[in-house]
Amino acid sequence: MKSAVSLLRRLARTVLVVFLVVFGSTVLIRFAPGYLSDVREMDARYGDAARTELSAEAARSSSVRQMLSTEMSAWANGSLGLSRQYDVPVLELVLPRLAVTGSLMLRAIVFAWSLAVGASLLSNAGRNPSLLWQAPTTLLLAVPTSAIATICLLAGSGGPVLVMTLLLAARDFKFLDRLLRQAWRSPHLLQAKAQGLTTLHLVRAHILPNVASQLLALATLSIVTALSALVPVEVIFSVPGLGQLAWNAAMNRDLPVLLAVTMIMAIAVTCVGMASDRSADWQGA
Amino acid sequence: MRGRVLASWLLLGMVLIAIAVVAAPGSSYSNQDRDLPLAGSSAHHPAGTDALGRDRMVRVAAAYLLCLAGAICASAITTAAAAGVGTLSAFSPESLGRLGMLVCDVFLALPWLFLLMMVRSALPLTTSPAHSAAITFLVLATLGWPACARAVYRGACDLRNAEWVLQVRAGGLRGRQIARHVLPNLVPLLIPQFLICIPAFIIAEANLGALGLGIGEPLPSWGGMLLELDNSAMLLQTRWVYLPIALLILILLLLEAIAVEA
Amino acid sequence: MRSCSRLIRSVSAVLCAAIAMMCAGQAAPRLPGELAWTIGYDPKTFDPAKVDDQESELVRYLTAGVLLRFNRSTQKVEPQLAESWSLSPDGKTVIFKLRPGLQFSDGTRLTAKDAAWSIRRVLLPATGAPVAEEFVSANDVTVETPDERTVIVHLPKRVIGIGKVFDEIAIEPAEHQSEGRVTAGPFVVADYRRSQYVRLRRNPHFQGRDAKGSVLPYATGVRLDVLDNHEREINLFARGEYDLIDGLPPDYFGMLKQKTPAAVRDLGPSLNTEQMWFNQSPGAPLPAWEKAWFQSQAFRVAVSRAIHRADLARIAYQGHATPAYSSISPANGAWYNHNISVPHEDPAEAKSALAHAGFRLNGSQLEDATGHPVKFSILTNAGNAARLKMATLIQEDLKSLGIQVTVVALDFPALIERLMHTQDYEACLLGLENVDPDPNAMMNVWLSSSPNHQWNPSEKTPATAWEAEIDKAMNLQASSPNDAERKRAVDRVQQIVADQQPFIYLVYPNALFAVSPRLLGVQPAVLEPGLVWNIESLRLEGAK
Repeated sequence: MKSAVSLLRRLARTVLVVFLVVFGSTVLIRFAPGYLSDVREMDARYGDAARTELSAEAARSSSVRQMLSTEMSAWANGSLGLSRQYDVPVLELVLPRLAVTGSLMLRAIVFAWSLAVGASLLSNAGRNPSLLWQAPTTLLLAVPTSAIATICLLAGSGGPVLVMTLLLAARDFKFLDRLLRQAWRSPHLLQAKAQGLTTLHLVRAHILPNVASQLLALATLSIVTALSALVPVEVIFSVPGLGQLAWNAAMNRDLPVLLAVTMIMAIAVTCVGMASDRSADWQGA
Repeated sequence: MRGRVLASWLLLGMVLIAIAVVAAPGSSYSNQDRDLPLAGSSAHHPAGTDALGRDRMVRVAAAYLLCLAGAICASAITTAAAAGVGTLSAFSPESLGRLGMLVCDVFLALPWLFLLMMVRSALPLTTSPAHSAAITFLVLATLGWPACARAVYRGACDLRNAEWVLQVRAGGLRGRQIARHVLPNLVPLLIPQFLICIPAFIIAEANLGALGLGIGEPLPSWGGMLLELDNSAMLLQTRWVYLPIALLILILLLLEAIAVEA
Repeated sequence: MRSCSRLIRSVSAVLCAAIAMMCAGQAAPRLPGELAWTIGYDPKTFDPAKVDDQESELVRYLTAGVLLRFNRSTQKVEPQLAESWSLSPDGKTVIFKLRPGLQFSDGTRLTAKDAAWSIRRVLLPATGAPVAEEFVSANDVTVETPDERTVIVHLPKRVIGIGKVFDEIAIEPAEHQSEGRVTAGPFVVADYRRSQYVRLRRNPHFQGRDAKGSVLPYATGVRLDVLDNHEREINLFARGEYDLIDGLPPDYFGMLKQKTPAAVRDLGPSLNTEQMWFNQSPGAPLPAWEKAWFQSQAFRVAVSRAIHRADLARIAYQGHATPAYSSISPANGAWYNHNISVPHEDPAEAKSALAHAGFRLNGSQLEDATGHPVKFSILTNAGNAARLKMATLIQEDLKSLGIQVTVVALDFPALIERLMHTQDYEACLLGLENVDPDPNAMMNVWLSSSPNHQWNPSEKTPATAWEAEIDKAMNLQASSPNDAERKRAVDRVQQIVADQQPFIYLVYPNALFAVSPRLLGVQPAVLEPGLVWNIESLRLEGAK
């Protein structure tokens, strides 16, 4: 009974977040400059055709309420609306890209965490904060994504997975390193080390339980960072995923596509948050 | 301890050198020496010139002062906001906490790109580059907090349930005093967030140039100089294009050294 | 201690393996004999009648069978599906004679019925074809087919350059829109993956033959990759994945020239212009004194004189541009006039002209007669490095006059909204692409009633005497059958523009291309599509 109630509560929370996000996005997109403009208006050959399309769009989107109700009915009949750029159902655009993006993100997050955990363990093996590890991670943080991509291109290897992994790993490493260093220095650990326990045993029995909840918090932070790093990586490497779709839709003010993508983002963020809350409760119990 | 002191002195020294370079008589970050675009180092231009013939050394020094100040302030504001929201949500009654996190989630998912466009269209077109820079960093500061707030919330929740905190609260301490006891324990989350935000904001400011925000010409933008690195033609032209990134990494490492815990 | 080092070793091993797994490159498969290059975005439509953007136009050019083709190199109209054509002396009747034995790509016969159906469909208002506007009054055009190989088109009014209009009308099977899948051109649309590529395959029934009588096209297919990133495009071109780059940015020209000097071509000035203009619209939300400056001829001419165009060409385009003073580029041999008297660079003259017009220098800041400091913003589009550099160079040039300039770069939709809808801007720096050398194609820019009359769109009546004179001259050239009279009218327009400087022309960017040494048959031309206008004759070295 209690689990059913809590499940319903979670569902309600997700729906509320999605609704607020959709409403907010519609307002932001509709009233940002350039919604009713098209670069083809500047071209003497295509100007009239562009203007006809735009006045039709203006009639369709004269008020936020009208736009929202159009969107809701489009979702109700399953097609998620018609894309303004491509004139095809949004669902058709989004579904194949979900798989691509999902796979990219999964691989990147798994690799990034392995790298970050490994690197912070190795870094803590030395006494002082090791410059050997700090310098490359700082480099990865400071160099813009597009520059990393250019370097990959010049080197001839490395693609979106590598770049995203490196970006996430660098950020995760900064947190993990500090966390582990703090845990490593705690007094009871020093005593345990002095007593001769192996490092692996120390890590498993003494450190992990203490930092587990903070690791969870970092995991949620990491996933959120991955979601935001997705767009530049996909755009630069021309990966046919959700990030590239979102970017093109934003540049062309394609409202139905943008709403679909922000809805997916909202659901993802809410689920991640709820999962971390849930596992923290489970951990604490 | 020695490392921290050394690092602080080094940082201070760099700031003073930068001020000296910018304030030197005859040096200008906007003067275009049109006969020498993308030149190598010479007596007149120790670090060469950029694509429009402006002295790179003066521009890097000016960008260093401007963007570092902006990015550090913006990072500090963001981290403080994240800490505030996270801690408040954790130590409030549960419903308020949930509401806080709901706002956080909504904030994360909204497309802020369009808000930034609206900010740009609300500003007059003749906003001076300096004002435009300040507004950009302020806007970045107000948008960066949700990602970290949730992690802080999680950490603060665990602390709230820790024994010593329960004792403290039972003993009658409230509000600000709780913050004073709790926040130091959240430092391992907040300091890396602060340090990560600095380069992120520097680059974000340059990317916002595509929307019309960001630092206007002729003021030098450090992020803009970093973004030059994505042009392979530039990379092959001159070695001095690596100067801004080298400086940035140095400064971040120095800040790390200062922020290390004893 | 031993356990510690073991841990370190095992962790390092995992790390190395992880990194190795991530470093997998990406490659796209290429079919033998297939040409490949990039397009900037997805074509919006494959229906040749509805084409209204550049990439769709490219796909139409490569796949459509047309009655007449406008040869981009010789700039003359040539018959393609038509064996011959004739225009009556009054210009109102066009007669086409189709070649015998024509077939569509699926083997069905192509007759006058298909040609007539395609032309009528383009003229229908319901289709909304942009090319219908060229016919002036599309509703009154009639098409007859007296026999299987003759098509007669009756026009209500004479149309200048009617031959070129038929270059844009694709002949499709009658009653059966094919959206590029059944065509009479050299290629047929075979596959389309959104945001990835468009694949064309050879049309086995294409009627073209080369000089020796062999079948055209030589290439087995074309792959157009959707790629917006110059870095990747150039990297892939250098690796041989792409055969040509249409529109090479000037920074990369030097880099590619160092690597493969034979691959890059600089054809000299293109037909395009880069210009700056001031907002002269009386309804603009600007203070009255600013409008007064922008509407003053002396102010505009002084600004034009203060700009060092040679520096713009040398620094912003790295030498791959030519200083521009008038609306028609020297590449447009038939219409260019170098006898126009234009205001050349002369900062001293500019200063004295401003002083005459009532502007005073207060310290280092210029002020107008009412005491307001002269400062304005130049708007340009983000993402174009050359334009941003030009704006910064102009900012420095105008500083010597005491004028304070702010440079603002916006994304295109926001920029267009300001330019065309709200007129909320002061000065703008953009480029104009001229696809057609005939000035008639630029009517929409020069007519004061047009929404594309950039400095003062959609005027009900011409706001100034000189704009009225431009209207008269452009209308004259649109209707006159006498070539000499047209040339005089266009020369007059160029002189008025040079005197009044509504557009301050900056440079003509050069036409820069990159062509792989393996690609044979390329004859670059200045008109779009400069490298592939003779797509049927292009082939890869070593391919059959």
